[in-house]
Amino acid sequence: MGTTASQLSKESLSEYQSNPFKERICQVFSTSEQKDGSLTFEDFLDLLSAFSDSATLEIKSHYAFRIFDFDDDGTLDCADLEKLVNCLTGETNDAKLSSTEMKQLISNILEESDIDKDGTVNLSEFQHVISRSPDFVSSFKIVL
Amino acid sequence: ALSTRDRIQAIRDLPMSFKEKKHIRWVSHKQIKMIRKSFSQTLKLWQGAMKSIGGKFGTSVLTYFVFLKWLLMFNIFSFLVNFGFVTIPLLVYKGLEILTGAGYFKYTVMYYGSYSNESLVGYNMQLAYFFTIAVYMVLCGISLIFSMAVNFKDNYVLADSASNSAWQLLCTWDFSVTNEKAVKQRRNNLCVQLKESLSEMAQQDLVIYQQCRVFIFSLHTVFIIIHYLYLFYVLQQATENDNWSLLEEAKTLLVPFVVSLINLVIPLFYSLFNKFEHYSTHRKQIYALLIRNVFLKMSILSVLCYYWMSKVPAKGSGWESMVGQSLYRLVLFDFLFLMLGSFFGEFLSNVIGTKLIPRMGVPEFDVARNVLELIYSQTLAWYEPYERYIRHFISSSSVSVSLTHNCQPPRRSGRAAQMQTIFIFLLFFPFFVGALSIVAYTAWSLTPSKSCGPFRGLNNSFSAVDVWIGDLKNITGSQWVVEIYNNVIRSEIFYFLITLIILVIIYILWQVTNGRKELIRRLRQQIVNEGKDKSFLLERLQDLQKSIPNKNTKQKKQKGVCCENYFMLTSLCM
Repeated sequence: MGTTASQLSKESLSEYQSNPFKERICQVFSTSEQKDGSLTFEDFLDLLSAFSDSATLEIKSHYAFRIFDFDDDGTLDCADLEKLVNCLTGETNDAKLSSTEMKQLISNILEESDIDKDGTVNLSEFQHVISRSPDFVSSFKIVL
Repeated sequence: ALSTRDRIQAIRDLPMSFKEKKHIRWVSHKQIKMIRKSFSQTLKLWQGAMKSIGGKFGTSVLTYFVFLKWLLMFNIFSFLVNFGFVTIPLLVYKGLEILTGAGYFKYTVMYYGSYSNESLVGYNMQLAYFFTIAVYMVLCGISLIFSMAVNFKDNYVLADSASNSAWQLLCTWDFSVTNEKAVKQRRNNLCVQLKESLSEMAQQDLVIYQQCRVFIFSLHTVFIIIHYLYLFYVLQQATENDNWSLLEEAKTLLVPFVVSLINLVIPLFYSLFNKFEHYSTHRKQIYALLIRNVFLKMSILSVLCYYWMSKVPAKGSGWESMVGQSLYRLVLFDFLFLMLGSFFGEFLSNVIGTKLIPRMGVPEFDVARNVLELIYSQTLAWYEPYERYIRHFISSSSVSVSLTHNCQPPRRSGRAAQMQTIFIFLLFFPFFVGALSIVAYTAWSLTPSKSCGPFRGLNNSFSAVDVWIGDLKNITGSQWVVEIYNNVIRSEIFYFLITLIILVIIYILWQVTNGRKELIRRLRQQIVNEGKDKSFLLERLQDLQKSIPNKNTKQKKQKGVCCENYFMLTSLCM
């Protein structure tokens, strides 16, 4: 894998090419100045440790929040949620949601998780929703 | 292996510099740690296989294998207990002559009927058997209750009540899925599920499905009645005769054959019905299938038990051996049918689905049905606890092989953690309780036969304990055991008081839970109100800041108000 000074680019993570969040994961864990999503060895270790079995719920939900926050502004607003849904559903036309369905879905999500009713989901609200879902810890996992 | 102190002393005695000694200490410590870690890694069974299954099929299918592993650990523990306390003393006493003796299976030590009722040198066989079974059942019960309680707390009480809410679907994207086709399929499935959760069912479909449902329900009852009648008929036909001709032997195989056939065919019909019926959520679909299959298996087991308990002891001597033999045959056939079912059945439907009728598609892995098979075989194990362990290994590997070759992941991903709770609950409540009551009935009411079993010559199995207590009365120094036995275990008041106390505690905890729910509701309301207050104050602040440059005369007063608002705002934010 090279010395500790070498960088891992997004393309070489071949095992996770099929993961729909591959770019976001690389962006979140990368600490390089060029912001190109390349990972050093320590970044890679951080990634594996956050996705491992022994990471706590707080760590996982913290990183999940950062991964879902596509514009890196610290909250999940409507644009972030829309990108999230598009990422998780298919790309073909019949697998996509129409715009009315999308609006309805986003308003459902906000109604359920936005506790202070400010139109966005911040980190504590996200962690509160996650804590009520018992499947999150077992599915937010990458095992080598 | 030396203790740490001795190790440090040994290192200290080496003729080397201090730096090198420190290095040696560090290296040896690391080596011990690594050995310990690699040992614990090898204990984790099937980790590679489970990872690949989780990668291709997702976590809900993985729950089946997790459950299987849990059952296997359970059974290994029970095997060790039984073997250690019952079989080993017998082997030690009798030697190996029983194993190498006559060709009949019923005389081996694995077989209940041949246990001697003598007391071996200081080791009372009757008591050993009785207490081993009792302690084992109690431990099973306690561990099941604990896992049920923990699972229930995690997955039901703390979890969200809305099963199909969009956020839950999005947050539980399975990151461990690595196969490209599987990921694509999951995305499509998720899209379909999201659309379903948004849209309502059309009114006209409701009427048709309700009519279908009534029709299918009546079909179910007809099925159950038919199989009851057939089972009774078959049992009446298969009588035990003393002349051991080949035809008689073949006849005895008829009962297990019919039972396993029913077990195989009728759940397939249920799955077929399930495809036609339309359910609002995937969970309800699984639960309906599960309930029907549970009823089927419970009815089979209860008919068999009733037959054994009521008819067989009247027939004559050695009924324990006969029951044991019937159970063994039943288990063997169950196992054979399971292997046939998983290899040929699913292989055939795979072939049919891909080559002949492509529209049907590859069969889905039906988690519910397979888990129920496991629970059923576990129940049989509680009746006759020896033959299960090898079976578990073989059946699990065959199921996983057929899974990877023949099936595709289920179309709608269920709530994995909640399904795990339901499985454990099912294992406990109908099946374990049923097995426990049958064993208790056997111990308390049935007269052991005069020629076989370790309890021969007694009125019922429980009187072994009576005899022992009677013996203890004569030994001084153990009066306290007799006292406890007479006043606690045999008195009804004790159990009554305990039940009363437990009920009171449950009621108190229930009230506390209700109070906390109300508190949560009020706190949420308070958060919403404070959010509104915050935005109101921010608006006021902005208005006042806009109006300050225009009115110079009232500047001081405005500033005062402004500062007051600002302080209120910051105190609210903190």
